[in-house]
Amino acid sequence: MAFTRHALELPQGSVAYHRGGDGPPLLYFHSAGGVRIGAAVETLAMSRTIYMPVVPGFDGTDRLIGVDSYPDLARLAGAFADKLIEGECDVAGHSFGGRLAIWFAAFHPRKVRLLVLECPSGFRPAGAGPLSTDPKIVARQMFAHPERIPPNEKSPEEAARNRAVANHYHKGVDMDRDLVARLGEIATVTLILHGTKDGMIPIESANFLKARIPRSHLVFVYDAAHAIEVDQPERFAALVGDFLERGQAFLVNPGAAGATA
Amino acid sequence: MKFCYFHFMPWTGIAEAGQDWPVRNSQFDPSQATGLYRTYLDHMAYAEECGFDWVGCNEHHFSPYGLMSNPNLIGSALIQRTSTIKIAMLGCLVPLLNPIRVAEEYAMLDVMSGGRLIAGFMRGIPHEYVAYNVPPSESFERMQEASELIRKAWTQPEPFGWEGKHYRFRAVSIWPRPLQQPHPPILMSGSALESARFAAANRAKLGIVRLTDLESVRADIAEYKATARAAGWEPEASDILLGQYVAIAETAAEAKRNLSQGIDYFLNVLNGGIRTAANLVLQDTRYYTARQNVETTAKRVAVLKGMSIEERIEKGLVLCGTPDQVVDQIRRLHRDTGAGVINVTMKVGNIPDEAVHRGMTLFKDHVVNELRDL
Repeated sequence: MAFTRHALELPQGSVAYHRGGDGPPLLYFHSAGGVRIGAAVETLAMSRTIYMPVVPGFDGTDRLIGVDSYPDLARLAGAFADKLIEGECDVAGHSFGGRLAIWFAAFHPRKVRLLVLECPSGFRPAGAGPLSTDPKIVARQMFAHPERIPPNEKSPEEAARNRAVANHYHKGVDMDRDLVARLGEIATVTLILHGTKDGMIPIESANFLKARIPRSHLVFVYDAAHAIEVDQPERFAALVGDFLERGQAFLVNPGAAGATA
Repeated sequence: MKFCYFHFMPWTGIAEAGQDWPVRNSQFDPSQATGLYRTYLDHMAYAEECGFDWVGCNEHHFSPYGLMSNPNLIGSALIQRTSTIKIAMLGCLVPLLNPIRVAEEYAMLDVMSGGRLIAGFMRGIPHEYVAYNVPPSESFERMQEASELIRKAWTQPEPFGWEGKHYRFRAVSIWPRPLQQPHPPILMSGSALESARFAAANRAKLGIVRLTDLESVRADIAEYKATARAAGWEPEASDILLGQYVAIAETAAEAKRNLSQGIDYFLNVLNGGIRTAANLVLQDTRYYTARQNVETTAKRVAVLKGMSIEERIEKGLVLCGTPDQVVDQIRRLHRDTGAGVINVTMKVGNIPDEAVHRGMTLFKDHVVNELRDL
């Protein structure tokens, strides 16, 4: 499924985005690594039209004046969605993008049909300690199966530049208390994913979110680290695809015959 | 030194060795088995009075080898008859079962017993995979995934789903949760190096119950300890359980006669049909990931079949004799292996139940108190 790159002019400035697939719209926020279009996303694109905005500053784009925080990004994403997507859409985000997806859902509740949070950042408990900066350790925390990293993965230099941009938005905040205060407002049915081998985001963060987002479902993806889409693309696509197709009814095993609806 | 009273609950009503799989159950007499279950349960409950620290249950299918197709049912009965002894499930065959069901039933046993459960995560012996129609080649993978899932079911503070290779659950929140926190102690089989490594990586107790020689036992234990250290923990002697067939009698001759008869019956009659199925599994699948384990299994059976009781005693593979002799044998076994828990099987094959009971009483009166300092 081919993705194409575009640019959208908004009052805040120009925003690059990737678009691909066919079907109901899915707004997808990338991780601190930047845009990664792998097998998992391509499978989802077989039944969804995926809009993947490039957060300003990532992947060689320019940062925008006045867009310096997650709330700023959520407002920008709202303008992006209003201009490109008619009506409501499904929203997903990975890690950095997961945190942004929650801010988006808090600011634009009527825009969001279903919400998918793939090990979102921003809820690191006080006792979890700092994240490592050793590239070898980071690689182990990211990937349970490094042999599955797609060949078009970003170079170490590009990845480092993207991480620096992410840090600009993070501002060193491990626990996003402003966002925590709004978690109870998220009325959307929400799927939270966590890899059983995730070395970046502690399991306590996933449980913290599960306990606070009222209609949320936490699912562990077995034998996946932080980059669930890379480690287990089939499991990711099957689970997320089913959730997007059936909403909360994804809890029910449809059997070999499939769901009737 | 701790002791686990372990019981296979064999069906001893057949005299002929058959090789067919599955073993024809027309030879089973339910009304006779009612009395047999009562006797076996009486002995297992008596283990508490005899000073045993654990009482052990196990799971086997489709043969007279053992009548405990669901060990948790027996565990539940034992909880009602005992008050302090640990209920050791050695245990559910995790790769064959619904892991959530295992998590639930083990949690029930733990809560009902006031926190006395030792939770065995076992792979079983090869024929069980034929019985339950589970691909033997998936055994180890299923074991790995199910073990992690069960632990998650016990410890997760929030409902969760599971998207795995062999198991998929969209929402899990078991009732009850276990009493022991963060979860009951786990024991895994370690009769092969890969299993010993897996047990250590999971911070589980190690159970070695199929012995060919003490040299391979020591190798398994060394592998277990080395893997544990690499994972950041140090096993204690009480983390290592070693299986032994045991006969204690007033005279060494009587003990040897009983054990010799029981082992013959166990190997030649009770193992008949299941060996046929096991051979098919080992020939045609990757039940063991290492070819060496297939050869080891074949060698073990051949070696054990040709060995006299005296040789078995000498090699540390059984405990047999008068109470004093058995005390000495246990001291030697502890010295040679470092194991801190002996899994005592007294009902070996068709050893008469009266002899088993007498052996238990001798253990209570003359053995156990001699060994508490080990």
